[in-house]
Amino acid sequence: MQGFPDRGGTPDLAQLQSTMHAIELACTSIQMHMNPAAAEATILSLSQSRQPYQACKFILENSQVANARFQAASAIRDAAIREWGYLTSDDKINLISFCLGFVMQHANSPEGYVQAKVSSVAAQLLKRGWLDFTTAEKEAFFNQVNQAVSGIHGVDVQYTGINFLESLVSEFSLSTSSAMGLPREFHEECRKSLEMNYLKTFYCWARDAALSVTNRITESDSAIPEVKACTAALRLMVQILNWDFVCNSSGGATSTSIFQVGGRQASDSPKRSECNLVQPGPAWRDILVTSGHIGWLLNLYSALRQKFSCEGYWLDCPIAVSARKLIVQFCSLTGTIFPSDNAQMHEHHLLQLLSGIIQWIDPPDAVSKAIESGKSESEMLDGCRTLLSIATVATPSIFDQLLKSIRPFGTLTLLSTLMGEVVKILMTNNSEEEAWSWEARDILLDAWTALLVPLDRNGGNELLLPEGKNAAANLFALIVEAELKAAAASAFKDDADSDYLQASISAMDERLSSYALIGRAAIDATIPLLSRLFSERFTRLNQGRGIVDLTETLEELYSLLLITGHVIADEGEGETPLVPNAVQTHFSYVVEADKHPVIILFSSIIRFSEQSLDPEMRQSVFSPRLMEALTCFQLLHTLVRQKHICLHIVALDSWHDLANAFANEKSLLLLNTAHQRSLAQTLVRSASGIRNSESANQYVRDLMGHMARYLVELSSKSDFKVVAQRPDIILSVSCLLERLRGASSASEPRTQKAIYELGFSVMNPVLVLLEVYKHESAVIYLLLKFVVAWVDGQISYLEAQETAVVVNFCMSLLQLYSSHNIGKISLSLSSSLLSEAKTEKYKDLRALLQLLSNLCSKDLVDFSSESIDTQGTNISQVVYFGLHIVTPLISLDLLKYPKLCYDYFSLLSHMLEVYPETVAQLDSESFCRVVASLDFGLHHQDTEIIDMCLRSLRALASYHYGETRAGKAGLGSHATGVTDPSGNLQEGIFSRFLHSLLQLLLFEDYSPDLVSSAADALLPLMLCEQGVYQRLANELIERQSIPALKSRLVNALQSLTGTNQLSTTLDRKNYQIFRKNLNKFLIDVRGFLRTM
Amino acid sequence: MSDSEEHHFESKADAGASKTYPQQAGTVRKNGYIVIKGRACKVVEVSTSKTGKHGHAKCHFVGIDIFNGKKYDDIVPSSHNCDIPHVNRTDYQLIDISEDGFVSLLSENGNTKDDLRLPTDDNLLTQIKDGFAEGKDLVVTVMSAMGEEQICALKDIGPK
Repeated sequence: MQGFPDRGGTPDLAQLQSTMHAIELACTSIQMHMNPAAAEATILSLSQSRQPYQACKFILENSQVANARFQAASAIRDAAIREWGYLTSDDKINLISFCLGFVMQHANSPEGYVQAKVSSVAAQLLKRGWLDFTTAEKEAFFNQVNQAVSGIHGVDVQYTGINFLESLVSEFSLSTSSAMGLPREFHEECRKSLEMNYLKTFYCWARDAALSVTNRITESDSAIPEVKACTAALRLMVQILNWDFVCNSSGGATSTSIFQVGGRQASDSPKRSECNLVQPGPAWRDILVTSGHIGWLLNLYSALRQKFSCEGYWLDCPIAVSARKLIVQFCSLTGTIFPSDNAQMHEHHLLQLLSGIIQWIDPPDAVSKAIESGKSESEMLDGCRTLLSIATVATPSIFDQLLKSIRPFGTLTLLSTLMGEVVKILMTNNSEEEAWSWEARDILLDAWTALLVPLDRNGGNELLLPEGKNAAANLFALIVEAELKAAAASAFKDDADSDYLQASISAMDERLSSYALIGRAAIDATIPLLSRLFSERFTRLNQGRGIVDLTETLEELYSLLLITGHVIADEGEGETPLVPNAVQTHFSYVVEADKHPVIILFSSIIRFSEQSLDPEMRQSVFSPRLMEALTCFQLLHTLVRQKHICLHIVALDSWHDLANAFANEKSLLLLNTAHQRSLAQTLVRSASGIRNSESANQYVRDLMGHMARYLVELSSKSDFKVVAQRPDIILSVSCLLERLRGASSASEPRTQKAIYELGFSVMNPVLVLLEVYKHESAVIYLLLKFVVAWVDGQISYLEAQETAVVVNFCMSLLQLYSSHNIGKISLSLSSSLLSEAKTEKYKDLRALLQLLSNLCSKDLVDFSSESIDTQGTNISQVVYFGLHIVTPLISLDLLKYPKLCYDYFSLLSHMLEVYPETVAQLDSESFCRVVASLDFGLHHQDTEIIDMCLRSLRALASYHYGETRAGKAGLGSHATGVTDPSGNLQEGIFSRFLHSLLQLLLFEDYSPDLVSSAADALLPLMLCEQGVYQRLANELIERQSIPALKSRLVNALQSLTGTNQLSTTLDRKNYQIFRKNLNKFLIDVRGFLRTM
Repeated sequence: MSDSEEHHFESKADAGASKTYPQQAGTVRKNGYIVIKGRACKVVEVSTSKTGKHGHAKCHFVGIDIFNGKKYDDIVPSSHNCDIPHVNRTDYQLIDISEDGFVSLLSENGNTKDDLRLPTDDNLLTQIKDGFAEGKDLVVTVMSAMGEEQICALKDIGPK
């Protein structure tokens, strides 16, 4: 590899030229794919040499090879960011003005990417020095830029200036800034400073630049150079409005506006298309709202619209796209920029925009017809997006009113007709190429969701006016029709797209819940509609039995059930959903239960599921089990989540038939395992509807007892070992384990007793099965998952004696599992079988770790009447012991599974943080494993894992420090280090980690997010091992050969421990001081330590 | 459910009685076993066509031959039966490896078994031979199904 001379004095011309040739050669050879590694090394050595600026400037100015210029710019950036700490302030300013001057001079250069690169280097360097430069220094740069942007040096320079501002703004915006090896606070401060002092100015410059060329653009009939500058200006305005404003709350935030300020974007609302709110605050009112700026923008776009037939303009030409984007953004303008005492201003603003864009989407049928016959859909989609933005910032009634002043109907009606058109298109040609109608549907659906999603859980949404309701009802009917048609059409489709279907199931679910919102908005009409459609299909099913093929009808019923489910109930992932407000409040006038429309719909569905229990019906109509599984069990599963429904359900005869069938009928064993589990869970959970606790427990015993007894009998057979391997026995054992798991996971306080007994009775059989099926990994996994679920449901309710029993059982289980698996190597010719075996192991181990975590939770949540200590059970010792058994099974290979790794380290760090005192009692073998794990975790790629290890270190070190200061042993020999049997001194844990943590912080790559937690770990480590720290610091200083840098390092090390009154206590305040000190220390020295 | 299982127990089925058992395709799961094209396979992938839908579902199985590692696949209507191999695994202690490529094994009840060849694959062979040469106490697991036998796992239970 060729190195480049560090700048000693001024390099002579020959030297510069040879460097340039070397870089040019490297660039061309990369392009030709000749020895790219060496070429890359040459280029890298340029950016890594000391002060390569002279050479880089020379290349930029003289080289004919564009790539070489690009690389030179990039080298300037890398070197300057690295050496920033000791560049003189003149050097810094020179570099920036060189870059700026370069782009301005070469404004008409055809190599856009070199220009963009140099421009972004200038922006990055300006940001790097942002907090150090004086205002006057910054002003000098910006004057230059302002002149360029104003256009006095011509269109090319104007374009270049705007581009520079664009890269500057994106550099200062947190989400797009480039890494500089500095803490987050730096970026945050720069961002704040730019927003306060410059952002609005930049916006005005961009606006003026656009204004200055508008006339020329509107007057000419073909594309002119000004279009390029205008497009860039529009783009810059879009980008500035995209800024994440924080200073917007400075206005009167106390009075509540009728417009919701940001409140609509509840984090749980299902959003697919992005709709960012623009909330710049009152300071922006004059430019954005009251200056007639919007009128100009709308006029500009309509002028462009006239030109789409001209050469150089079309619907998707850059300037039109940017203008439309900006218009959409103006619709999302909200917040304190509008005075709270003047609602008209916002309304007027929205109305102006809406009247500007109305022709993009109205009349809907003509628009969709034009698109179908070949017009570009982008304008229509942007129209939909504006509707979405308006829907996001306005209440439904204001949204609806807006259009009334210019059209005979409300905006909701327009929204409904527009979406109706889209749905019709989707219905007629349901092929995948019709991407635009999919996209339009999604955007419009989001608009509906934004309008209709309830703002808070208890207060309902305001009700729509009759016209709006009508619109919603019509649309809903159309949607249902379309869905049914799609369902019927898919009945005989081939299975080719089954993969695709599965992937889109969650998307479909989301879509259905948006449909449901529309349906609920007009619930008077939709519930009867659904009832009618359902009973039509149901009758057809009964009549057509055995006569005609009913596949289509079944498919329609399935789809109808899905829609209905979403309309009448919210989905309740993990939580108990309430009856939706719309359903709850709406039919309050209906007094008799039998006439309540929801109940009518409901009972017809339940009757339908009862039919599936009728064997004859099942034979003739419901072909495979899939139908039952998907409709009934999913439905039942949601039903039992609501307590008051449980009350009714357990009183039903058919429910008892189902429970009976489950307990005794063999045919249900043929169900897919996941359904076995969910059925068991559903049936057990319904016990919460039984009022009397004793009968609830009895119900569970009746339901599950039979299966537990069967397992007990089976496992005690003398020939069980022989027959156990038979596939039919394996199948039924697996089924039973799945069911037990389902039942255990439905554990509730009321049925806890029965489920404890259930698990207790199969403890021994479980151990027998674990032995017998040790080679049958599929069974082992089910078994472990059952135990995990059981312990999870039980542990916090158990009394001391029961806890002891369960803990002992778990430990025997762990030991048995470990004895089967430790040191075991699978031999197979097939690599995929080997990797299957590894995956199985991984899943087992995760289950075991979950088991330990569940045991751990006993110390946090405990409902028992006496302390578990009375039985001598110490949870922390138990879990450490468990970890000791499990850890050897976890190989480095297995830790590559992120979930396993995460589980392992979160359990470990939890233990170390909460029970550091137990660590002192570990024997040296277990302790070594802990240390090795922490060491591994500290060098992991995943920030979260490193963070957990750092927290553990902090906990251990601060525990030890506190104890030893109080004259106790702390971690004892674990901390001081021991001599191992072969006579080598093993380093103590703290000195070892002090060393590796410093190494990490100073020389390795890590995420800046980690610095705070690293500081929190480093401080107690340093306090524990002050002597070691001194030694390490001295070594660091000795290694530095350049005197200037050496003294910098000495100073930095001194202020790390000596400034801001850092003391030797471990309280909150001291930790904070140290974090600050460490941050500063790293900024000071990391740059040169890493590269020298 | 209990009647028929009782019946099975009384029939005292022993390992050699039947090589395969019938089972409904819809109940065969990933990580289970299945016979495809006359070979005992481990199921590594099951997909049911028409996921999330009604219709005559079919199961698509991808299996890997547990002895030679070859991949097979098969499509069976989910309500039909397919053959499930009876896969047995027995642990033996490894006593000796003879020159001619046979191993001698000691079973739990004290019998010896000398009719099993070492695997032919070099990689597997060295794993076994090296462990044995180091003087480790090795337990090997022998997998048998449909008349074939092979060593499938190796476990070190400490030095001799």
